[in-house]
Amino acid sequence: MPAGGYFGRALVADVTSGTSQDLPLPDGVLRGYIGGSGLGTWLLYRLGTPGADPLGPQAPLAFVFSPLVGTSLTTSAKFAVVAKSPLTGMLTDALASSQFAIAGKLTGHDAIVIGGRAPELSVLLVDGDETRLIGAAHLAGMTAAEADRQLRGELGRGWRVAAIGPAGEHGVRYATISHDGRHAGRGGLGAVMGAKNLKAVAVRAAAKVAPADPAAVLAAARDLRERSFGPATAKYRELGTLANLLVFNAISALPTRNFQAATFEGATELADQTSGNGPEDVPGDVQGMRRVARSSCASCTIGCEHIYRSRGGKKARVEYENVFALGPMCGVGDPDAVLAASARCDELGIDTISAGGTIAWAMECAERGLIDAPWLRFGDSAALLRVLDEIGGRGTPLGSLLAEGSRRASRTVGAGSGSFASHVKGLEMPGYEPRTMHSMALGLAVNARGADHNRSGAYEADLSGGLDRLDGGDAHVAAAVETEDRAAVMDSLILCKFLRGVFTDPFTEWAGLLSGVTGWEVSGQELRETARRIVMAKRVYNIREGWQPADDWLPDRLLDEPLTLPSGRVATLTAGRLRAMIDSYYKLRGLDPEGRPGQVIADDLGLA
Amino acid sequence: MGTPKAALEWHGSTLLGRTAGIVARAASGPVVVVRASGQDLPELPEGTLIAEDPREGRGPMQGIAAGLAALTGRADVAFVSSTDMPFLHPAFIRRVLRVLQDNEEVDVALPVARGYKQPLAAAYRVSLAAPAERLVKEDRLRPAFLFDECRVETLDDAVLKQDQLLATLDPDLDSVLNINTPADYAAARARPAPEVTVQLFGTLAKGDSAPGPHVVRAATVGGAADALAVVFDRHVTAALNGDQITRDKATPLAAGDSVFFLSADAGG
Repeated sequence: MPAGGYFGRALVADVTSGTSQDLPLPDGVLRGYIGGSGLGTWLLYRLGTPGADPLGPQAPLAFVFSPLVGTSLTTSAKFAVVAKSPLTGMLTDALASSQFAIAGKLTGHDAIVIGGRAPELSVLLVDGDETRLIGAAHLAGMTAAEADRQLRGELGRGWRVAAIGPAGEHGVRYATISHDGRHAGRGGLGAVMGAKNLKAVAVRAAAKVAPADPAAVLAAARDLRERSFGPATAKYRELGTLANLLVFNAISALPTRNFQAATFEGATELADQTSGNGPEDVPGDVQGMRRVARSSCASCTIGCEHIYRSRGGKKARVEYENVFALGPMCGVGDPDAVLAASARCDELGIDTISAGGTIAWAMECAERGLIDAPWLRFGDSAALLRVLDEIGGRGTPLGSLLAEGSRRASRTVGAGSGSFASHVKGLEMPGYEPRTMHSMALGLAVNARGADHNRSGAYEADLSGGLDRLDGGDAHVAAAVETEDRAAVMDSLILCKFLRGVFTDPFTEWAGLLSGVTGWEVSGQELRETARRIVMAKRVYNIREGWQPADDWLPDRLLDEPLTLPSGRVATLTAGRLRAMIDSYYKLRGLDPEGRPGQVIADDLGLA
Repeated sequence: MGTPKAALEWHGSTLLGRTAGIVARAASGPVVVVRASGQDLPELPEGTLIAEDPREGRGPMQGIAAGLAALTGRADVAFVSSTDMPFLHPAFIRRVLRVLQDNEEVDVALPVARGYKQPLAAAYRVSLAAPAERLVKEDRLRPAFLFDECRVETLDDAVLKQDQLLATLDPDLDSVLNINTPADYAAARARPAPEVTVQLFGTLAKGDSAPGPHVVRAATVGGAADALAVVFDRHVTAALNGDQITRDKATPLAAGDSVFFLSADAGG
């Protein structure tokens, strides 16, 4: 009998043969890795063939649920999609929220792991214990949203769909998997699914699972819901993450024109806060855009989704990261163009951050005469939209080049272009300027997924006022470790990080939630150890797949080109400072000087 | 004065608290406060180091020697300030420090401001700790003795005000005004707080509060928050001039500062 909240098994489907089997998940594994990102790491290590091509049939693609999914705890309807990234060659784990999480778990499995390659473009149906493949030729070329609608119409009530868009079919290495308008966005999971000849995975609930202590969970859910209405989530609820844009611009932390600057002259046009300040149900103008709706993920009381409509009539969900990546990063200050580009990314099914980062690199290459695309210039809205289409369909040599991501593309172009390719481990940088955020600089450098702001929330320390964000040292290292540990637990329980501010004693409070659901007596200290285990397991997986010490590093530009702040202070992040912080991080994590774990850590992971 | 200058009230803080805070803002390294043995000090900014002055009554040279000694191994240059300069501006400190940063041949950057040499508003190489200590032992207690032994660059009013920022923000070089009598203190305290610019971001700029910029008078971050009815609690931080971020209400402000109040949950 598995613990509360769990089924104690994963479904392992082979789409080459069309067969599937159950993989029992012992209590020890579930307690050691919880679910979501943590359990996904364990599954990938166990089921993946070492050294396999991420786009080959031997590379598994795992949809991983968690014990909290299906409970009344706010923001818990989340799942992780975990695979070896075709961008990085290392582990990637993207989280997303939707009814797919609930229906997927209630197929009766804690995870659905897919291997092989279907003989033709197909849809994998998981209906309780039954799995089957159906042809998807009629869905080819559709956007994920179109495929979702089409399939649900064909399959009938109760089905939930995760699908890829054209970019996933064309193997764009930063393609996404989408469901209910949400995306498992980073790392190229859509390309992995496309390489399996899967247009979609459809799931239908067929089982039930109950928490061990329903009354305790209900009480916790009520308490958490109340807290989710408080000031700690106000920014997300009232403004969404777009509010970051003006803040980051004000503190020289907004990457602009491929990290050539940290402030953007068009920031106010993109996120004008002088309007849109009325009551929540009154739409507000953001220059050319109008906020037309606000919505929530499944089982969420925060409601961070802010939908805008451009003058041209297109609607798109606006968040900081997509506006940063397709706006300042590419030098584009026209809100309509940024909105249209965001919508186009959603239609094609590509990650906005990697798209923006790769295009910004290409714009700089074009301006330097390194690639033959004189039309591709920073700030050119039409060029941005044109190149997105070329990428999504791999329809031109330039589109095919950029569909590979900035690291691979820079290796093809050469001529020193790698020095300004803004990625870590091959994953393009999110919208946080490392030169003015030294805790985050470390977090980005050492993170298993690459340049990622969700697995390392070290920017919190930089913005906390508790340390000098321009003078990285041991305090920044400790903060980076702490936020990485917190993320590991939240991403495995899974709870939305937008909820993080409501917890005053996070590990203890999370332990209480997990205890109520599972029936285990979990302590905050145990969860801290679990966090470290998950972080280490990701590192061990990456080492198995070829990680080298040089992979824990930042792009040359960020180490060689200082920034001057409006205060007159010069922000420098030298190689020496970064090296010292990384060394300190390794020491704090108990790793050897090259960043590899010793036997004590390896023994604890339970991966062997 | 009849009362310790360090503890004199200054817009909700103290003279010493303000001076230490201003120096901390302008310098990139640690701040050291030199005190007489057993002297009570008012609350100081977090991270301020305390050095004991082993011998009382030896004047400024003893303080300079003790302070520089405490910084040995921690910094190469130091700005030395007395405790009683309530109008000291970060731009003044940066201007003076820049002399030593730009010219390795100079040991002391000595302002000659408002007609007087200002050895207690000057920059020194930390390597002067040893000669300063020797001069104290030799009972040669005037800073001029130290200047005789090292390379000094003086900065008069005109030279100081070649720095456009300093000329704009502290045109009369009030940075070097100090307080010696109750009347000095009363006159200084009667001046209005410095004029600063405040902007509100995120949810703080909703409802009745326009984002700004707002021009207010405030001597501390807490004062700026009060001026715009911002509740400066754990959900709010402040960025000074787009640079340092603080949660400390007592962080001192100077003329021309900009303060951005942000949601503490900025990011992700």
